[in-house]
Amino acid sequence: MSNDDETAKADGGTASQSETVEDERFEEHPLEWDEPENNHKAPGERDSVSHRTEKYDDRKLVTGQAKYTADYEERYPDLAYAAVVRSEIPHGRVTGIDTSAAEAMDGVEAVLTPESDTVPDAKYTSAGQSYPEPSPWDMRVLNEHVRYIGDPIAAVAAEDRATATAAVEAIEVSYEEYDYVTDPEDAFNEDAPQLFEDGEVENEIVGHDYDRNRMAHIGGELGDVDGALDDDTHVHETEWETIRQSHANVEKHTSLAYTDEDDRHVLITSTQVPNHTRRQLAHLFDIPIRDIRVTKPRVGGGFGGKQAMVVEPIPLALSLATDRPVLYEASREEEFYAMRSRHPMKVKAKTAVTDDGDIEAIDIYALSNTGAYGSHGMTVAGNVGSKPMPLYSKVPNARFEADIVHTNTPQTGAMRGYGAPQGTLALEGHLDEVARDLGLDPIEFRRRHHMEVGDLDEIAGMMGGEGANRRIRSCGLDECIERGKDAIGYDDLEQPDADHLHRGIGMALSAQGTGVAGDELGAAQIMMNEDGSFHLQVGGVDIGTGADTAFLQIAAEVLGCDEDDIIVKSSDTDVTPFDYGAYASSTTYISGMAVKKAAEDAKERILDWGAKLLEEPVDVLETGDGTVYSERSGNSVTLEDIGYEAAYGDDEREHILGKGTHCTEESPPPFAAQFADVTVDETTGEFEVHKLVVAVDCGVAINPGMAEGQIEGANHMSYEMAVSEGITLDDEGRAEIADFDEYGLPSATETPPIESILVETHEPTGPFGAKSVAEVPTNTVPPALSNAVRDAVGVRIREMPISAEKIKAKLDERKA
Amino acid sequence: MDIELTINGERTIVEAGSGDDLATVLRQRGYIDIKCGCDGGTCGASKVFVDGDVRMACGMEATDADGSEIQTVAALGTQADLHPVQQAFVDNFAVQCGFCIPGMVIEAVALLDSNPDPTEREVREALDDNVCRCTGYQKPVEAVLDAAQRMQGEQSVAADGGHPVTVAQHRDESTSCCGGGCDE
Repeated sequence: MSNDDETAKADGGTASQSETVEDERFEEHPLEWDEPENNHKAPGERDSVSHRTEKYDDRKLVTGQAKYTADYEERYPDLAYAAVVRSEIPHGRVTGIDTSAAEAMDGVEAVLTPESDTVPDAKYTSAGQSYPEPSPWDMRVLNEHVRYIGDPIAAVAAEDRATATAAVEAIEVSYEEYDYVTDPEDAFNEDAPQLFEDGEVENEIVGHDYDRNRMAHIGGELGDVDGALDDDTHVHETEWETIRQSHANVEKHTSLAYTDEDDRHVLITSTQVPNHTRRQLAHLFDIPIRDIRVTKPRVGGGFGGKQAMVVEPIPLALSLATDRPVLYEASREEEFYAMRSRHPMKVKAKTAVTDDGDIEAIDIYALSNTGAYGSHGMTVAGNVGSKPMPLYSKVPNARFEADIVHTNTPQTGAMRGYGAPQGTLALEGHLDEVARDLGLDPIEFRRRHHMEVGDLDEIAGMMGGEGANRRIRSCGLDECIERGKDAIGYDDLEQPDADHLHRGIGMALSAQGTGVAGDELGAAQIMMNEDGSFHLQVGGVDIGTGADTAFLQIAAEVLGCDEDDIIVKSSDTDVTPFDYGAYASSTTYISGMAVKKAAEDAKERILDWGAKLLEEPVDVLETGDGTVYSERSGNSVTLEDIGYEAAYGDDEREHILGKGTHCTEESPPPFAAQFADVTVDETTGEFEVHKLVVAVDCGVAINPGMAEGQIEGANHMSYEMAVSEGITLDDEGRAEIADFDEYGLPSATETPPIESILVETHEPTGPFGAKSVAEVPTNTVPPALSNAVRDAVGVRIREMPISAEKIKAKLDERKA
Repeated sequence: MDIELTINGERTIVEAGSGDDLATVLRQRGYIDIKCGCDGGTCGASKVFVDGDVRMACGMEATDADGSEIQTVAALGTQADLHPVQQAFVDNFAVQCGFCIPGMVIEAVALLDSNPDPTEREVREALDDNVCRCTGYQKPVEAVLDAAQRMQGEQSVAADGGHPVTVAQHRDESTSCCGGGCDE
């Protein structure tokens, strides 16, 4: 994802196409990359990287011994439990909060309202982004002006959960009700109820127009799109719609706050962004950054929902008020109506294509419903264009625009894919339709135009951030397509015997990024113990992804030690070096490269000591199998010998330490080719998805087993976007979903077999050739399934989810 | 009221109020291997054996468990000596965040106890009320099928000590989606 405010500042910024400028840009982004020799290892030379190393925390996880935030409750005997009073109306002003009954209850420790001393009187954004956040500061911890059913108004701390819940129920809130609006198109009307007054929001975003509920407007253009549309070309226009999806992280948002014996404020919290959260809490509560410690234990899934300071201010404010540790664990119902969700969008795609099938122009417009607040609103919308459109970076004319609109509906936020799923549905569904209309093979049509090695991608940067332009140095799209076709059986598809059943295959391509171009920072430190073992301290955040394992594989590859000899400590802001956090598919690439640099730094010292002990020059020495050995004499010394000598030697001593910090302008795209195999019953519209195949180029997979898990899990989430309703809302914007049994997450029997294929390429800018994997397979099932249904029965579903009713209606329409 | 439970072989008296769910009561006693992901009885993370039957601990009243024998995932194996189902989850990369895994493992053990050689469909049906958000269900299903093979191997060829099939071998032998054990 790109939460890079540079990428979306200009409103309609137009890039020049003059040759001189183009040449300069080519020079700024050379194809050749100054890659260290040790970064490029053939498969046979890899000792740890690209092995199926057992996941670092797995034994604890499968035996139930790993600790998540709520599991720390037993450590604090005086722990108080938090619960939150939330708005029951879609829009209005709180005129009174009667807390007397709650305060009189036994076991109630504190009741906080917007006026309370420990509740910050400041605006902020919950978006866990770099500073200043490219999201408007439009939120308050507790609110008098409520903007959706779920907005927090008051908070309670009590001795146990049941008392906290009872106290919340005993608090009476009176309101002055305002008109409300839940439909994003209605919200644009001049007479629509207004959520924010002009000037009320701080850190406003480009293109905002709060009189019309517009949080931002962004756009950019390459070439002359209108000119191309006017020319003698086939112009196609389609419109697509996506669902409001819940992250459905099985561990709920959970946070525990206390003040320790050194008067420092500690948060044990389920987060993707410990360092951003620390900074945001410091600003909001006016506490020095150094006096806040944010530590992340095991996290039960994030998917972007925890790339935000969603709940942390509540337990901190209550802990400050009660002088006790306070745990806040959201309920599952709150997860669906008061945490975060994927932005529902309407996306229009328009293309101009010549008789010969050349794409002359691509034009995409997105209307994004950001809900009551604007966290991640502009940056997610930017990625609707900037992630999928570079797939066709050879197209000479391209334009992208988006409006991001407030409604009185639940808050949206970052979610895996970050706008790319919405854009990929529109673009890949659209191009499939264009190809079929022109009588071209949809796969060959895509293959003819897609990105390849050597391309200069200017689409990511066309919205004003030329730094986001990229040279493509690795691209496995052709192999992804070929292997995907083979695996799905594209060339020998058998039709069912029954006349009313029709089978079809659909394909969709996808590209993502690897970190936010030019806006990332990761750091790591490695300390060697006397016995030759290591402590790896890294800011990178493992939220269940396996990042800790990838880090230790990278470190072991450099240090030549056994993986078991490395202890990984990640994500404790008092102990581990700085990191932006787990988002934007950045962790392996950015934090992993910081680990590699730290390991190389330590290795340099290890080789120095090896040279001393072996009495040979450093340049003939190498590490491997837990030793330093001489490539000249074959003599070796163990890391343990070096460790003891360095710590306790007679004449000279040193603690062997390595440090690494990494930031880059690069954000190489990983790629995916998705296939869906479906049979549709033309009499009922009912369909069965037999299989999903997704082939992914993530560069060198640091751990193929974990990469497959990422791909298949992402594809499951993507499948949900294609076939489920998501979080449905009533007329007042109230979530109609309260628990998992009401939410349409495809279950084990409802999910088709998913086959993941790893297509290895080498990305020279990534650690040992790696680029990202986690997001790109989230983008592809909705268009692939829409295309498959079109292939099977000739009708097109553009509004997600795809359902038997919609297919039947289209079939009936065609008959009529 | 006080209720008597035998938890992982240990007899104990615990206090439970009316309306307290079993998961909350057991977690307060330190059994943190019981996970709570929903508001009661829908996500499957809190599955335990209650007198041999799989139950979502968060979906039953603690007082209803009075006198019963409870087994949690912690009792199945240790980190150094995993139960074959736990080992198969590890070896098949079926675990990401791990939050749903205790419930999945309990359900899988129950399935293989009653049906040692399940089809892929039967495994999916068994896991149907276990929510997994990270991995989807592909690798957990493969893990359970793999565990079935290992456990059968242990029974029939005791001599090899139940040495697990490596994932690489397993994949090479597989021509289908699920690792060779499915019925498709």
